[in-house]
Amino acid sequence: MKKRKQGLISRRDFMKAAGVGTLAAGIAPQIILPGRGYAAGKDLKILVWSHFVPRFDKEWFDNFAKNWGQANGLNVTVDHIGLAEIPARTAAEISAGQGHDLIEWVWSPSQFEPSVLDLTDVVKEAEKRFGKQLPLCTRTSYNPFTKKFFSFCPGWTIDPGDYRKSLWEKAGKPEGPETWEDLITYGGKIKKDQGIQLGIGLSQELDSDMAARGLLWSYDTGEQDEKENVILNNPKTLEAVSYMARLYKESMTPEVLAWTAVSNNQALIAGRASYILNSISAYRSAQKQVPEIAKDIYFTPALKGPRGTRWASEHVIYNYIIPKYSKNADTAKKFLIALVENYDQAMFQSELYNSPAFFDTPVPSGDRGYPAVSGAKKLRDLHNAWFDDDPFALPGEEKGKLKVLKDADKWSTNVGHPGPSSPAVGEIFNTFVLSNMMANAARGMKPELAVEQAELLTKAIFATWRKKGLVGGKT
Amino acid sequence: MATAEERPVQAGIRDRAELLAKLMIVPAIAYIVAMIGFPFLMAIFYSVSDATTGDPTLRIIGFQNYAAILSDPVFRLALKNTFFFAFVSQALVIVFSRILAASLMQEFRGKWLARFLVMLPWTAPIALGTIGWLWILDSIFSPIDWILRNAGLLGTPGALLGPETNMYWLGRSGLAMASVIFVHVWRLLPLATVIQLAGLSSIPRDLLESAEIDGAAGWRRAVEITIPLTLPIIGIAFLFGLIFTFTDMAVVYVLTRGGPVHSTQVLSTWTFFKGIQGGDLAQGAAISLFLFPVLAGVATLMLRLARRTEVV
Repeated sequence: MKKRKQGLISRRDFMKAAGVGTLAAGIAPQIILPGRGYAAGKDLKILVWSHFVPRFDKEWFDNFAKNWGQANGLNVTVDHIGLAEIPARTAAEISAGQGHDLIEWVWSPSQFEPSVLDLTDVVKEAEKRFGKQLPLCTRTSYNPFTKKFFSFCPGWTIDPGDYRKSLWEKAGKPEGPETWEDLITYGGKIKKDQGIQLGIGLSQELDSDMAARGLLWSYDTGEQDEKENVILNNPKTLEAVSYMARLYKESMTPEVLAWTAVSNNQALIAGRASYILNSISAYRSAQKQVPEIAKDIYFTPALKGPRGTRWASEHVIYNYIIPKYSKNADTAKKFLIALVENYDQAMFQSELYNSPAFFDTPVPSGDRGYPAVSGAKKLRDLHNAWFDDDPFALPGEEKGKLKVLKDADKWSTNVGHPGPSSPAVGEIFNTFVLSNMMANAARGMKPELAVEQAELLTKAIFATWRKKGLVGGKT
Repeated sequence: MATAEERPVQAGIRDRAELLAKLMIVPAIAYIVAMIGFPFLMAIFYSVSDATTGDPTLRIIGFQNYAAILSDPVFRLALKNTFFFAFVSQALVIVFSRILAASLMQEFRGKWLARFLVMLPWTAPIALGTIGWLWILDSIFSPIDWILRNAGLLGTPGALLGPETNMYWLGRSGLAMASVIFVHVWRLLPLATVIQLAGLSSIPRDLLESAEIDGAAGWRRAVEITIPLTLPIIGIAFLFGLIFTFTDMAVVYVLTRGGPVHSTQVLSTWTFFKGIQGGDLAQGAAISLFLFPVLAGVATLMLRLARRTEVV
């Protein structure tokens, strides 16, 4: 009743009114009847993405969930889905009012805030037991404007630079690039002298989106400030966009304008890229497919901008939502706590692809399915030990390659930095506004015009979501 | 008491042809209402609301979404691209399908194989076929580029197609648009060819023989007899393909995702990115409905042509 007084119409109300008379009896209940929770009683249905590291799903997560269910007298079902299908599937389940009790996103699901449970209690409980949550994880799951935790983030993935040491050695920079400018100086030299280009995506896909943001943040700018005001059009953005135009001209080829999310991995593994921005998955794939290339792949932390600032985007951020239709919310919340409690296994079974959101989580005792690490009491200790001495290094391969990524939580941040990952930030990300701003300049558009166009789109998107009451700042 | 023979025979439902006909069509109507009519109404409703993928409540906001999309430069570019993509690809489909159909009307050895090969793209799932093309047109590993390099046409100073090692089919705006058009033509050609074959087969043989006796052959026969007689069916193939192209997103989504920099973005893909990926369901619905008047007109025209074809 209250909703009607406010002029709000439930989508389900409309569907009822319009559809009851017309839909066939067999179809109608599936579409129009509200609140029919799929899982009931002692069931828990979980929808997760198909992890990039296949053994993570097969050898760990599915069994972990099932065993946890058995230990608690529950029937746990885990379904997997390709990451590109997550938004449509979630929207369909929310709209139908039935589906999974827990849905995992690999970026921020902030637009679903009105339809999911506030998980503040889970975060509080987790912080009480496992210590402070990493701020970048909090900023992808918490809306400071509405003061709600719309999701729960147990982990994330580092997004370093991956470079071919032999190529950079010949160019006179064996430790790889340290600054964005190095990519032009040495990357350009490698392209000219050794015929291998550099690979930072300028395409309509997520790695390009992250790269564009990393560059902007390292140039002390971004799409929004901490208070969610749009600040894109400023001299520092112009500086960053002009830099990208130079980088493209000196060090890259038009291939980066057509890249898909896997293209940078493929280019590196095929020996056709001197440097890419990607998680360690590219390296892990090379270890299995082309060991000689893998042995030549090394890593750099986020590159420094002209004033010494350095930021990289998280590569993947795991966020679980519990839709309001779930009849097993309490069980789902307990599962999330159990997941954090066992995140040491997530780190190991993902071959260090997953990093924890709660570094102070105690390492559980007993056989954990990996060789015990002496003296490791918390996940931070495990993280440091494994990154110092990679347990997945190939025989004869240098074991300390990942050492430079040990402090990744200090130079990694969330999409939307320095503000939260709001629905506006999400739409800008998913409609490629910033990667296209960079690509436009690379293709010859005046940087001023490229930034102006991106600002126009950014402001319109922020205005739409502000009207929905989900984003702060001023229009 | 009247006997069974004397009692007037009550007409059963099976004897009431008119009622039976109506009953038999009910499932089809129910299907259309449920699967097309209802979602269509929902789309109209969403397009005048502030619906998002994540919020079950919404407000009616009138035509604000239409105003917003009209001021969006990406939408305007996608609209232009949609028309270009649809008309150019359909023109090519009609020309090539005509040539193919005429060739397949001739008797030659291996005709069945030729027909099988022509039909092949239509039988494969479109996403799978397009992924095949994605590999063929890859920026680094394209086999077409490999052939061009080995033929000396690419990758050396002074080569006809340039000194760069690759064409970057999907990385340059013009080539990317040409690529999506080419793959779409490849995909629709079999159906259009079959439609044209049906049209050519329906021309009475005696008419063609009379024309031949009167000395009308080759080009003259095509212009004066076959094309005019098959024009309604060519029209159907064209209009069907046009509607299909306006509303389909598979080829563009798989090959370019609308890139580089929206240069191959079409309304169907932009609807998906804006409405589903971006979460702004209301604007997504407005984008998807924008071409409805055009498509409705095209569909009406198609139905009229179909009726004319029946008369022929």
